[in-house]
Amino acid sequence: MAAATTAGLATNVFPFRDARAAPDPVLEAGPVAHGSLPVPLVLDNGSFQARAGWACPGPDPGPEPRLQFRAVCARGRGGARGGAGPQVGNALGSLEPLRWMLRSPFDRNVPVNLELQELLLDYSFQHLGVSSQGCVDHPIVLTEAVCTPLYSRQMMSELLFECYGIPKVAYGIDSLFSFYHNNPKNMISSGLIISSGYQCTHILPILEGRLDARNCKRINLGGSQAAGYLQRLLQLKYPGHLAAITLSRMEEILHEHSYIAEDYVEELQKWRCPDYYEDNVHKMQLPFSSKLLGSTLTSEEKQERRQQQLRRLQELNARRREEKLQLDQERLDRLLYVQELLEDGQMDQFHKALIELNMDSPEELQSYIQKLSAAVEQAKQKILQAEVSLEVDVVDSKPETPDLEQLEPSLEDVENINDFEPLFSEETPEVEKPVATVQPVFNLAAYHQLFVGTERIRAPEIIFQPSLIGEEQAGIAETLQYILDRYPKDVQELLVQNVFLTGGNMMYPGMKVRIEKELLEMRPFRSSFQVQLASNPVLDAWYGARDWALDHLDNEDVWITRKDYEEKGGGYLREHCASNVYVPIRLPKQASRSAEAQASGKGSGASGGGASEQA
Amino acid sequence: MDGVSENKMVPSDFSTGPMEKAAKPLPFKDPNFVHSGHGGAVAGKKNRTWKNLKQILAAERALPWQLNDPNYFSIDAPPSFKPAKKYSDVSGLLANYTDPQSKLRFSTIEEFSYIRRLPSDVVTGYLALRKATSIVP
Repeated sequence: MAAATTAGLATNVFPFRDARAAPDPVLEAGPVAHGSLPVPLVLDNGSFQARAGWACPGPDPGPEPRLQFRAVCARGRGGARGGAGPQVGNALGSLEPLRWMLRSPFDRNVPVNLELQELLLDYSFQHLGVSSQGCVDHPIVLTEAVCTPLYSRQMMSELLFECYGIPKVAYGIDSLFSFYHNNPKNMISSGLIISSGYQCTHILPILEGRLDARNCKRINLGGSQAAGYLQRLLQLKYPGHLAAITLSRMEEILHEHSYIAEDYVEELQKWRCPDYYEDNVHKMQLPFSSKLLGSTLTSEEKQERRQQQLRRLQELNARRREEKLQLDQERLDRLLYVQELLEDGQMDQFHKALIELNMDSPEELQSYIQKLSAAVEQAKQKILQAEVSLEVDVVDSKPETPDLEQLEPSLEDVENINDFEPLFSEETPEVEKPVATVQPVFNLAAYHQLFVGTERIRAPEIIFQPSLIGEEQAGIAETLQYILDRYPKDVQELLVQNVFLTGGNMMYPGMKVRIEKELLEMRPFRSSFQVQLASNPVLDAWYGARDWALDHLDNEDVWITRKDYEEKGGGYLREHCASNVYVPIRLPKQASRSAEAQASGKGSGASGGGASEQA
Repeated sequence: MDGVSENKMVPSDFSTGPMEKAAKPLPFKDPNFVHSGHGGAVAGKKNRTWKNLKQILAAERALPWQLNDPNYFSIDAPPSFKPAKKYSDVSGLLANYTDPQSKLRFSTIEEFSYIRRLPSDVVTGYLALRKATSIVP
């Protein structure tokens, strides 16, 4: 990389790490899990990553969550191989080869495919060393979306209680747990949480320790949309490297090379200047690919191939024409024979033949004969012409660049002959342009570099300006103002004193400064505000959930037990300091299976019998 | 009561169900569990797939919400009132000009010549990125 002729080329060149995830070991639960009381399992169920671990009581708060893995699964490569089954998370290794087979239980930030969720939970329980038989004997703390649909909570509760047989569960919001972790006093105070995750960004006002759900707002943009935007920008800029610009590499660029501009327009002005550009552009070095190289250096081979294709096409056309000519000739002969019948005066046979040929009168026959003979003549002419030009081609072709001029007249002939191949003739003039201007010597390394300049600030900017990506929603600043305007002035003051930023998508350098600037613009002159970034925006939700679980182990009011689930239905939620607001609407129980069984009668004999018993 | 009845309703014909595919059944699970949201073989032709978020939300709208209740779709951020700034499709700088032929935005003369030499798929790609493609040709 350092072997560059000019000094400027060696600066700011970064390779892609292309990290592979190491498969997780199946951990032993260890003594922590077997206390007198069953130890709670804390699971931060996120659309990007799922983080799972034990909430161990005791003086030592404990290390990071034992499991952190991407919330995706994919079947083994090569179709569904029996025995291997779907692989989850870190067992997949690198995600790129399987990109099109990856499936996630999430649709935006809500789990909708509970079968895949079951796989993720299986993976977590198995690798954490859950050893109880027949059921998972630990209380679970699970994160859910803000104002998650009741149906989704019902499905999740059903999965947990009926499949895994857990004793009790508590649902909470990840950003609220993170808030709780950073300042336990927060749970009785007020504040404004801006939480930006993988799929969406939430702005949550907290009043007196409780979420004010009526005034929450969600912007449907997050890290995944930024990665997709960056990927398409780079793919459009470098169409030759389409396959090498993968989402994993985009995530790498976002995590390590992007930042949020404090003043977007001003920052763009800075980027206009070529010196600033040179100093700050990040050149991502793609791995060397000989396939790409081959397609440009061997342009002569391409020309050869094109010529061969042309010749083949010509031959094919000639053969087709000859066959058609033969058929036409035969038909002409037949018609002439019929005409002779007429001339000879054999009227019956003539009329019979006319009917066979599907013609009405001798005049029609005559005109048909004339047309056919003209066509036959034309075909014969064309065949002669084609043969002549083919000979010309073979004689004149030379395998060097002067061949381009020779190719011109043959191309015109091809256009005459090829009435079936318009695509081919359209393709060749386009391909000729780069071939004529290719430089034989160029910097190989530079060819494989992606210059990431203004993209460094454009991709993360979409949460502030969703119009960049065509979204109609307002950005963070405008939504913040909208929410604040719904409160009286004194409450607004209270809220902005404690603005809290959390979530993986908040980790760009310059994010805090930008939020402060936006607040400065919208708050009255000389009012104060405080912005705080979470100590670990990615993992704080898990830490907060663990702290919460340890603090509330004895508190029976916050856990949803199996009895609650059975009495009050799957959508039931017990509120606590970090939970959603429960709206007591009873969902109709999913009666699809029992209804079908009763309706169909046969085929599902046992279950039908069972249903009628219960009913 | 409902939960208990569900378990009873699923007799041993589901021991050949999802667990067949795993190498060995996991001990902490109930092997006879079937999701009610996903019919599988029992529900027959209907209910074979999971509902996606749009379908779930459509069903949620039909529930008896009060006016001020918070739910997933009432939390959506409102559309923006401020006019959007125009940025160049190619470089991201502030764009004062738009190419009438391809409708791409650009800010300098060099960008203009670059845009005019782009193949049509790249042009539609840039427009699709901004959701500015017109559906009627």
